[in-house]
Amino acid sequence: MVRKKKGRASSDPVTATAVVMVLYITDSGPNSVRAVANLEAICKEHLQGNFRLEIIDVLQYPLRALADGVVVTPSLAKLFPLPAATVVGNLSDKSGVLRALGIVE
Amino acid sequence: MDPAVPLPNSVPFGPDVERGFKKAILRLVKGGPERLAIEAGQIDAIIDPGSGNAILLPAAQRALIERKVGFRSLIGLAFDWYWELDERYRFVSHRGASDDADGIAEEGIIGKTLWELSIDNMSEADWRTHRQQLEWRAIFRDLEIRRVACTGEVRYLSMSGEPIFDDRNQFKGYRGITRDVTERRQAEALMQEAHRFDGAILDALDAPIAVLDQTGTVLTANQAWRTLISTHSGVGTGVAVGSNYLALCDDACGNERVDGRAIAAGIRQVIAGERRLFRYDYGCDSPADRSWFALSVTAITENGQACAVVSYEDITERKRTELLLGLEFSVAGCLADADTATAALQSVIRAICETQRWDCGRYFCMDQSAGVLRFMESWGIPSAVIEQFLERSRGMVFRPGAGLAGRVYQSGQPLLMLNSARGARVSSTALAPESSENGACVFPVTADDKVIGVLAFSGSTVREPDDRMLHTLHSIGSQLGRFLLREQAVNALRQSEMRFRVLTDLASDWHWEQDGDFRLTRVVGCSAFGTADVLGLTHWDLPLVLAEVSWAEHKSQLAARWSFCDFEFAIVQPDGKQAYYSISGEPVYDEAGIFTGYCGTGMGITKRKRAELELRESEARLRAAMAGAHPGGERL
Repeated sequence: MVRKKKGRASSDPVTATAVVMVLYITDSGPNSVRAVANLEAICKEHLQGNFRLEIIDVLQYPLRALADGVVVTPSLAKLFPLPAATVVGNLSDKSGVLRALGIVE
Repeated sequence: MDPAVPLPNSVPFGPDVERGFKKAILRLVKGGPERLAIEAGQIDAIIDPGSGNAILLPAAQRALIERKVGFRSLIGLAFDWYWELDERYRFVSHRGASDDADGIAEEGIIGKTLWELSIDNMSEADWRTHRQQLEWRAIFRDLEIRRVACTGEVRYLSMSGEPIFDDRNQFKGYRGITRDVTERRQAEALMQEAHRFDGAILDALDAPIAVLDQTGTVLTANQAWRTLISTHSGVGTGVAVGSNYLALCDDACGNERVDGRAIAAGIRQVIAGERRLFRYDYGCDSPADRSWFALSVTAITENGQACAVVSYEDITERKRTELLLGLEFSVAGCLADADTATAALQSVIRAICETQRWDCGRYFCMDQSAGVLRFMESWGIPSAVIEQFLERSRGMVFRPGAGLAGRVYQSGQPLLMLNSARGARVSSTALAPESSENGACVFPVTADDKVIGVLAFSGSTVREPDDRMLHTLHSIGSQLGRFLLREQAVNALRQSEMRFRVLTDLASDWHWEQDGDFRLTRVVGCSAFGTADVLGLTHWDLPLVLAEVSWAEHKSQLAARWSFCDFEFAIVQPDGKQAYYSISGEPVYDEAGIFTGYCGTGMGITKRKRAELELRESEARLRAAMAGAHPGGERL
């Protein structure tokens, strides 16, 4: 399963600083479901749509996870803006996620 | 989601197994954050770098199994069988969601295409269409097939399918579901049968009936309704099933005496539950005739929705009877109010014309002395053609047996000539003076079972007479005949009285009337009493010069109720001279024979009396002179 979520349109000037993320999950595993929900809440509260998120189900695309260096799910990889960062787990540690995304509260 | 797809891995559960499993996978994970997350129970799966497979952790595995079981249970509710076809559309898999073995699986369908199975409701064209769908890799839904099971039971199956493609987008076949819809179809068949039965009942009814939904759209209608809307020219025209009756009523127009908006408002009230029944009677005119209908609207509830049942009833016969009855009363009223035969004839002819929508009517009276029917009176609608026609009728006479009027007079029976009949059998030129250019209704006017005249009407709406109509014509003819005869008698009496009065006036100076006590109640003419107010007084109360003996004799005559003649008396005039008068009278009795007074005449006889007196005086003087000339008393 690959799901892509987008915030604003690419023509938006804010796009240049949009956060690009990939969330690796395992179908509807309990931690994966929780990670999706936690990330949705954080994006809504702190990114106001200014992000691009791709959700990859490793049961369907295991090689994609391996190619990206992901060994456990759920894992969140922030690709942009640099530096890249990875958060492992169900993303219940909100401050850790914000730090990884480069968002200062 | 394929419910048959196996789970990614299968691990028996239990606390010991789980601990051992965790230890094993921790060896696969080198990173600190990952290991911490595993320890914290925040990980669902790890990716085995060696095989590239995802290995589910026990908690995640349990959750996925529960979810798949639940999903399978749910989709099991949605269909009865799951199947797959290969790229040549042959069944490669067919599994039931329930234990029910019926359906299409029992005959061993693996390896066969759908059109190779024993399905009896698909034609070759249907199969061609279906195969075309498959060739187009289209998703098909609810393909309904019917097959007869080995037991002879008919089953209805509904199939839906979608194409399968592999990772390289190569077509691999179809997969889909089958639902057994036999019960639903049977229920539908029962409903259709019930619906057909209801429709047959509705069609069996004479009255046009339609059922409207909340918006006024016709849901169903019976045969009588369908006939009505194809022949009717007013409200309801063209309102077939699916049309909106309320919209048509809102826009109603045409030649009907009907308020479409009132009908629409009534229907809306019924649908809204504000009233249980709405009735509306209205007339519908056509060039040849007028019909009446009663529209009834009642409320019913269909699947919780308020509906209205609209029905029509042809009440033309009832209305015609009411109109004819009303006409009879109207004619009676006209005759009661009329002062003259002319007024009566005109009002009666007019009432008949207006009720029957005829153009004009004429009355021909029998002239007994000449033995012909003569035009007497007429009434017609304000129209130049009718006025010309009536004008031509004046002076027209018919011998008994000649023309329509003469034939009716001779036979004593009504004669109706329909507008449509004249063209076929009767020369319009020949009849034009008698019946204008339209139909005619001619009937006799009778009195004492004798025809005294004929009423002739003309109009385009003269229709075939029925018993009620003939009864009304007979009744009107009789009423009018009696009135005319009575009026004739009254006129004769009036003329006789007039003649008598003239003669009386010539023979006397005044006439008088007394009550039972001999008091004067009326004095008409130039009486002996001048302008004095004598009413309420007896003759002997007046200052008349008369001997007591004469009064006594007169009073005894009156007491005996005798007639008296030339009862003379005198009145002293202002110049001192006497004027002489004579009265005659006779007793008056009422219908019960009771004495009510006297009436009589009076006349001045002064000139005659004075002449008599002078004659007497002359005679006396002559006697005296004679006596002087012959002193011996010799008589002449």
